[in-house]
Amino acid sequence: MILPPLQYRRARDLKEVWELYELYDGEVSFLAGGTDLLPRLKLRLERPKAVIDLKEIGELQEVSEDEKFLRIGSLINLFDLRGDERVRSLFPALLQSLEATSCETLQMRGTIGGNLLQDTRCLFYNQSEFWRRAKGFCLKMGGQICNATGGKECFSNYCSDNAPALVSLSAEVRLLSPQGERQIPLEKLYTGEGERPFALLPGEVLAEVLIPKGESKGGYEKLRMRGAIDYPLVGVAFSLRDGRGKLSVAGVGPKPLLYEVDELTEGGIEEAAERASHDARPVGNASLAPSYRRRMVKILAKRLMGGILKEAER
Amino acid sequence: MKVNFKVNGEEVSVEVKEYETLLETLRERLELTGAKEGCGLGACGACTVLLDGRPARSCLVLTPEVEGREVETIEGLKEGEELHPLQEAFIERGAVQCGFCTSGMLLTAKALLDSNPNPSREKIKEVISSNLCRCTGYDKIVEAIAEAARRLRKGQDVGMEKESH
Repeated sequence: MILPPLQYRRARDLKEVWELYELYDGEVSFLAGGTDLLPRLKLRLERPKAVIDLKEIGELQEVSEDEKFLRIGSLINLFDLRGDERVRSLFPALLQSLEATSCETLQMRGTIGGNLLQDTRCLFYNQSEFWRRAKGFCLKMGGQICNATGGKECFSNYCSDNAPALVSLSAEVRLLSPQGERQIPLEKLYTGEGERPFALLPGEVLAEVLIPKGESKGGYEKLRMRGAIDYPLVGVAFSLRDGRGKLSVAGVGPKPLLYEVDELTEGGIEEAAERASHDARPVGNASLAPSYRRRMVKILAKRLMGGILKEAER
Repeated sequence: MKVNFKVNGEEVSVEVKEYETLLETLRERLELTGAKEGCGLGACGACTVLLDGRPARSCLVLTPEVEGREVETIEGLKEGEELHPLQEAFIERGAVQCGFCTSGMLLTAKALLDSNPNPSREKIKEVISSNLCRCTGYDKIVEAIAEAARRLRKGQDVGMEKESH
């Protein structure tokens, strides 16, 4: 597939990123690993004047620790992050979600920042321009109705495997822009709107992912059809720290959902899994039937939390 | 714009469009047509090349991104006139039918064996799990990779570890 005409610019630091952002009137896309951006460009879902390659910016590629957090630069690729000893020993939910993401080859290119900021997906949206024009543009493309449901709400799915794992670990994100710096819990990054999934300021760059240190028990379960490549049709993560549990569900709808699980008992698990399944609103915009995906939210959540409970009891 | 990088050990300097993928550049400007376009979206693996030793989807890399980097394609796998043990094993074991997935399979396998000379069958399957093949049913490919691993270990006099299944 041929890319649409655009300019390629490489930024050496964040200052240059924002100068270029101004230069192109904000009509730019940020390039990290390119595993989400390039397909979008090829399908003409995005038509920037330029791509700004972030990969030379050193400050986005460091992994460090302070008293409270493990700080992960947004440009660290998923494969390398899998190999980090601290991730492997402290954050099993994240290790499992990294291993579940796509496949090794794409993990070597895809970055944690890019994985979190991937656009939402839908069978009626991730198609060529020709296909989409024939069908008529949907809400996410600036049209009047949702092509999957016929209604006025966008149900596109947010398919990051690592987002629910990080949400279950109480991760925060540090965002930098010409207006300054802010640090927010990861779950506050999402608008819940498929048309515009992220609450980012103009030109804002995700610089770091911060995970509170301290051991956790946890895991990640993914509903997928093939053992590699696939996005999650349902992605469930759970982490248990200091007796408190957090369950997060992604892949259904435009943002990950979060549930506090105060009682890690059979009854508490059943109640949390039931709530998550009840809140999920899958529609016919992915490769498996909505009713099946809804049921699998509960099954995967119970299986995951049940397994952690057993592990914790030993 | 001009991009300077290494391909199969040789320095090249190519004039490219800013919105050109590495796959396009390799195939159309450098006439290295071993890498194939199967899907254009990074899912099938037919375009896989090695970028600084790691498998990468060349259809998802903009050529300007490889400035100063090293690219290896299937054309660089053999040493002079001698085929790489992976290539020999693929031929002998019937792991090639139409050949479209083969370049990607071989390079992905090479990257595996470079870092892990004694992979289990499970590990081999995991590593090639994102290289799609419509012809062979995969089994012969996995066997060929295991066979090539044996030959490479023998050739390098590495101790023969017991293979797990």
